[in-house]
Amino acid sequence: MLAQQLTNGILLGATYALFALGFTLMFGVLRVINLTYGFYFSAGAFIALFATRAAGMPIWAALPLAAIGAGVIAMLIDRLLLSRLNRARNPELASLMVTLGGVLALYSAATAILGSDIRRLPPELIGAEALLIGGVRITMAQILILIATIVLVSGLILLLRGTRLGLAIRAMAERPDAAGLMGIDTRRLASLVSFLSGALAGAAGVLIGLNFNAIQPYMGEEMMLRGFVVVIVGGLGDVRGAVIAGLLLGVIEVATAGYLASGLKDAVGFCLLVAVLWTRPSGLFGRSAVRRA
Amino acid sequence: MLRRQLLAAVAAISGSAALPAIGRAQGAPIPVGAIEILSGPNAAYGVAIKGGLELALDEINKKGVLGGRKIALTVEDSAASKDQAINAARKLIGRDHVVTIIGPTLSNEMFAVGPVVNERKIPIIGTSTTAAGITDIGPYVFRTSLPESDVVPVTFKKAQSRGAKTIALIYANDDAFSKSGFDVMKASADKLGLTILTIETFGSKDTDFSAQLTKIKGLKPDAVGISALVEPVSGVLLQARQLGFGKETQFIGGNGANSPKLGVIAGAAADGLLVGSPWFIGKPDAVNQAFVTAFKAKTGTEPDQFAAQAYDCMFIVAAAIDRAGAAEPDKITPALLKTNYTGVMGPFTFTDHRDPASTEGVVVLKMQGGKFVIAK
Amino acid sequence: MTLPDWLYPGWLDDFLWTYQNVIHSLGINGLLALSMYVVLAVGQLSLGQAAFMGLGAYSSALLTLKLKLPFLLVLPASCITPMLFAFAIGGPTLRLSGVYLAIATIGLGEVLRAVYLNVDYFGGALGLSGIPDSAETWMIYGLLFAAIAVLWLIARSGVGRAMEAMREDETAAQMMGVNVGRYRMGALLASAMLAGFAGALSAHVSSFIGPNEYGFEPAVTILSYALLGGIGTPLAPVLGAWILTLLPELLRDVTDMRSILNGLIIVLAVLFLPNGLLAWRMRRIAAPARPR
Repeated sequence: MLAQQLTNGILLGATYALFALGFTLMFGVLRVINLTYGFYFSAGAFIALFATRAAGMPIWAALPLAAIGAGVIAMLIDRLLLSRLNRARNPELASLMVTLGGVLALYSAATAILGSDIRRLPPELIGAEALLIGGVRITMAQILILIATIVLVSGLILLLRGTRLGLAIRAMAERPDAAGLMGIDTRRLASLVSFLSGALAGAAGVLIGLNFNAIQPYMGEEMMLRGFVVVIVGGLGDVRGAVIAGLLLGVIEVATAGYLASGLKDAVGFCLLVAVLWTRPSGLFGRSAVRRA
Repeated sequence: MLRRQLLAAVAAISGSAALPAIGRAQGAPIPVGAIEILSGPNAAYGVAIKGGLELALDEINKKGVLGGRKIALTVEDSAASKDQAINAARKLIGRDHVVTIIGPTLSNEMFAVGPVVNERKIPIIGTSTTAAGITDIGPYVFRTSLPESDVVPVTFKKAQSRGAKTIALIYANDDAFSKSGFDVMKASADKLGLTILTIETFGSKDTDFSAQLTKIKGLKPDAVGISALVEPVSGVLLQARQLGFGKETQFIGGNGANSPKLGVIAGAAADGLLVGSPWFIGKPDAVNQAFVTAFKAKTGTEPDQFAAQAYDCMFIVAAAIDRAGAAEPDKITPALLKTNYTGVMGPFTFTDHRDPASTEGVVVLKMQGGKFVIAK
Repeated sequence: MTLPDWLYPGWLDDFLWTYQNVIHSLGINGLLALSMYVVLAVGQLSLGQAAFMGLGAYSSALLTLKLKLPFLLVLPASCITPMLFAFAIGGPTLRLSGVYLAIATIGLGEVLRAVYLNVDYFGGALGLSGIPDSAETWMIYGLLFAAIAVLWLIARSGVGRAMEAMREDETAAQMMGVNVGRYRMGALLASAMLAGFAGALSAHVSSFIGPNEYGFEPAVTILSYALLGGIGTPLAPVLGAWILTLLPELLRDVTDMRSILNGLIIVLAVLFLPNGLLAWRMRRIAAPARPR
């Protein structure tokens, strides 16, 4: 049973890590707490839902389509909400609030149009039976999430550290004004980062929706609180940190529910969050925040 | 002025296109209010209830009550917000001067709204509130929904008769209905002598139950009781199958599982689940089948237990108004106590404590292929 | 309230009864808006108001239900628990800034929620019901106006000037001799006190409280009061609270649009009204000229 619980924890953790990737990217680069991120997550799931149900697409086509679709939506909405905030006195607070209002409106509109019923992706899309590997049960959807997380994380790190584009993004994250002076088109780059972040959210939405088999407009909302825990504990803006923190959270939650009391499962994440914030707010891997003198 | 406002409100809100022009010569329509969840998550329950109420209203208003007067129903949306439910109740009583209120949808809301309505001595009838203590709120609070404490023991007994000796319980601990249902499950298990191997909890919005289910699986119980609303119940069942729970474990659901959405969301994973219900769509009697057909024709969907209970309740209210002889709340309340009505739910009377008196209609259902059938 | 009949005709009675909950909510949400104002006024984005409200609500409900104390005793006592909690967590939490502080306070609120759910004494998911209807309208509005008055006087004084300095640039304020740490803790305690009162009053007008009423979403709603109204003067966030409280009532017939409008209002407020609706600034008594 220990093996199964450990597997449960890692799989749950991979889910959290996958969700947190785009979120931490957005904050690390653009210094924006983008609460609309949860909406792009739901949007990706719905795009896949329509693609597979209405157009009969298989999963390997629906997934990229959903990611691209969510990325485009993200680019447009972020441009609408965030582009005016550069001049605000307190851009972090302002971005928090404007994305909060935006996501409230977006979720409500989506619920009004699509209804709040839970839907499933077509069951034939991916085998629902669990495979038995060495005494441990794991489903195809969960394997897909693991693979996707590994692929996306590697791809992201490769992009950021190995390409000129990644260099430009990192420059913008460090010093946006200097980056602008070096000839980097920060507005276009910001749009690109929005797109990437949204695409990651959308991909996560499809995979996680597939795994838990519950797609409804507010699904992004429910992941967001966990998302906060993961990005803070891992360090805002640190991709590696998000992955490790996600896995850690998953394992801790499952261990608490499995071996202590299941009622504490939700609280343990927040206790971890508060503990990290009190002792090392930059997170396990973030650079220590330097107070502006 | 009030009448015109009322007509406008009825036309806009009750949406019942079948209402003919209110005959002014026959006497003013009798205002009845309802508070249900019509938006947001959980709206499915409120919408089903509204459908049942309106269907019954159409039939009642063909003849009217008290010698031909029509009933004018105003349905307010509480959006599952305690505040809005209270405001709705105050508006219905203070502005629309309703003689009776039906609803609200959730037990949580009733705990907030009940005292307000009770204070004004207006009868309020819950059709879907099953938590403990509802009718303790006051002498004007009624309910037609069978409390879980009447239904769950029947289901457990059926499981026991099929050989279950040990049971694990899992429930949503952040929702009053689910917690209340769990209390009943635990008490039933204790009373019947079933050994409770473990008690696990989760949050209503959780999507991962693997830790709890793996733990339960390790203990190998004969049965697993799940007390939650239909969406988490479906999630639990889906994951349980993925983790290898098979036919050897008998899953038992509380009232939250008693919804056709279970089949839609959980699909084959829900097969074999037992749930007790005061009503069953396949009940063969003529009254029920007529209701099912009419509901399908009017709304395009199949009725569920919530629609059926609301349907009966509207008739019970109309009968009470007739029995009272006047559209006055203080006469309607004692008239309600004398209810003796047979509807789609079967024969119905109130106990002295304003709860449903008869548990004869309770059947144990089994989920099979996405539909409920009677469990043998 | 017993007024002579001619002063209190039947239709007024009906009107007041119908809208009693709305009237109470306006007052209570005004107090919550002020509790948000005091922390925003020193430049902190603490989102703990809903958690403090919950502590006030639960502690006052337990005092009334278990110890059967009269409400006039319970109300002042209701601010004790939230203030103690604020004091306890203030140390480590106030060192955080900006978004980290916001997230920490939300995390703490969720931890409290888990406590309410899992400890039977607090009623668990079923919450506490049967709370008597002891809070009167005059108590709510009395407290609200007293709070506005006190905060107005503070804002006009040197203390208010220090707060504004902190809001603009904390490091500069510190260099000018403002004891930043003390002001932050003071603001947090004041916030806890106001929210605690609001919680006790709210519990005693709605007869039932549950653990899900004091979490993330209410915290965000309270923030939006201050956001819409602005924080130039203590009146501004109260105005924001009143608008956002009345909106669902005015839009009663347009249920689906309600939340959409709510969200849109917040977006428009941030984008086009960065200082809120009432963008006044306090006029202050000038400091006496210092001898050079």
